[in-house]
Amino acid sequence: MAAARKDLLVNIIKVIFLAFICIIFILPVYFTFSVSISSKPRINAGAIIPDLYFGHWIEITKGYWKSGIINSAIVSLLCMVIALVISIPAAYAFVRYRFMADKHLFFWFLTNRMAPPVVFSIPYLMIWRGMGIWDTYQGLILAYMVFEIPITIWILASFIASIPREVDEAVLIDGYGTRDLFFKFILPLIKPAIGVAMFFAWLFAWTDMFFASVLTSVYSKTLPAQLLTALGKVGWGIEYGPAAAAGFVTLIPGLTLLYWVRRYIVMGFTFGRL
Amino acid sequence: MIALLNYCVQTPFELRTTFVGLGHFRAMFHDYRFTDAVFRSLAFAAIALAIEIPLGLGLAYLLRKPGMINSIITALIALPTLFPPVTIGMMWLLMARKNGPLGMVMDFFLSGMFDPFRNATHAWGTIILMDVWHWTGLTFLVSLAAVSAIDESYIISARTEGATRWQIFRYAEFPQLVFPLTFVSLLRLIDALKIFDEVYVLTGGGPGLSTEFITQYIRTTGIEQWIIGYASAMSLVFNFIVLILSWLMLMILTGGRGLIE
Repeated sequence: MAAARKDLLVNIIKVIFLAFICIIFILPVYFTFSVSISSKPRINAGAIIPDLYFGHWIEITKGYWKSGIINSAIVSLLCMVIALVISIPAAYAFVRYRFMADKHLFFWFLTNRMAPPVVFSIPYLMIWRGMGIWDTYQGLILAYMVFEIPITIWILASFIASIPREVDEAVLIDGYGTRDLFFKFILPLIKPAIGVAMFFAWLFAWTDMFFASVLTSVYSKTLPAQLLTALGKVGWGIEYGPAAAAGFVTLIPGLTLLYWVRRYIVMGFTFGRL
Repeated sequence: MIALLNYCVQTPFELRTTFVGLGHFRAMFHDYRFTDAVFRSLAFAAIALAIEIPLGLGLAYLLRKPGMINSIITALIALPTLFPPVTIGMMWLLMARKNGPLGMVMDFFLSGMFDPFRNATHAWGTIILMDVWHWTGLTFLVSLAAVSAIDESYIISARTEGATRWQIFRYAEFPQLVFPLTFVSLLRLIDALKIFDEVYVLTGGGPGLSTEFITQYIRTTGIEQWIIGYASAMSLVFNFIVLILSWLMLMILTGGRGLIE
């Protein structure tokens, strides 16, 4: 009897704790949305219950907010495509062929993923200005490639390594060429990994603020950098509403894609090694 | 990149190239702002890890049984890992304002004295809470995968020999969790040292310099004050620390074997 009561108590504590955790994890997202649909007086009074004012959402479809959203979409999608086109063959080569300094090169890729963006920012700023690609799409994409290609190569390589070499040999013995082997056999086999790599390549460019704020100013400024500029003005004449709405726009892809990627998040952040 | 940074070191102020050699590196050790920033970064990483790893592991134990409700909670906890850091900074800025939910709750406990923009302790608390919110999802997911993969036979045999719950955890389960936990700890350590966006938006290094981390100091020196040589030298030292940590991670990952099997 006493044991049963103790079990019940433990279960109640568990449920309360989990409910508390859920509230903590959902509250900031809810509150940001709530601020974005509140009028200015309501925000200043604390906007826990919104008064359904949609002016901020209309505002972010105009002017620099709009160009920020468009730039973000263009840059992140282009980054995704370019990173994959380069890294799928590269990952295959790393796994299947031995060449000079391959292991060092592979480790160097990892250090690129691990290196702090702030370390790269100063030389990049100088070189990009010197080359005349500062504040252009191609400049920003080039900067992102340094971080994205390592991520995608590591994810893809760990997956390709799990395909037995015998598959390659069998295909080649059956008379297919190397090109057929790659396009008709390897690519379909690594489809899930390509999906994960695509998502994380896209995610990096979508979430990055640092390079966007250093390497762009007007023409190719992405949404996170735009958000930073807006928040920099917050101290003088606060405009939380549009910032909250724009911030919520940056959350939408994560919110909608979570269902499909939830099982692959670990794989993406640990380069497919866990 | 290293060659490039060395070049920068030799190109200090006002675009007049003078060779200073190791001068910048020597200056760094006498620069209290730099040593303090490094110390703050390390302290922040240590505190964040000390909370995130046990919390992630504990949640993984609570939610390890598959089921509808558990998978919804899992998804909720994992959600912030997909958000842009700058937006997370903004969200917590909104939360910590006088009229935000966090501000209200903390005001209730501290009788109206909560002010993360003037009080250093409150600023640190808010930043750590923000980081825990952002990254517990990752430690939790890794722990969850590790906990679900535990070999049940060890636990059953331990139980038949009359081990207590703690002994089962310590001697039968923990050894199977060490590898993924070490890996995710190192990953989080490196990422915590790299933290920039959130803190920059939330406190901007303030109040005073109390939340100025190494990344912030490098950016202030290099990009805003345009003292490129010194900032590059600091980046080089910082990058070296991160390089050693990632090498360590790799050694643990592969157990000292080759990188590519």
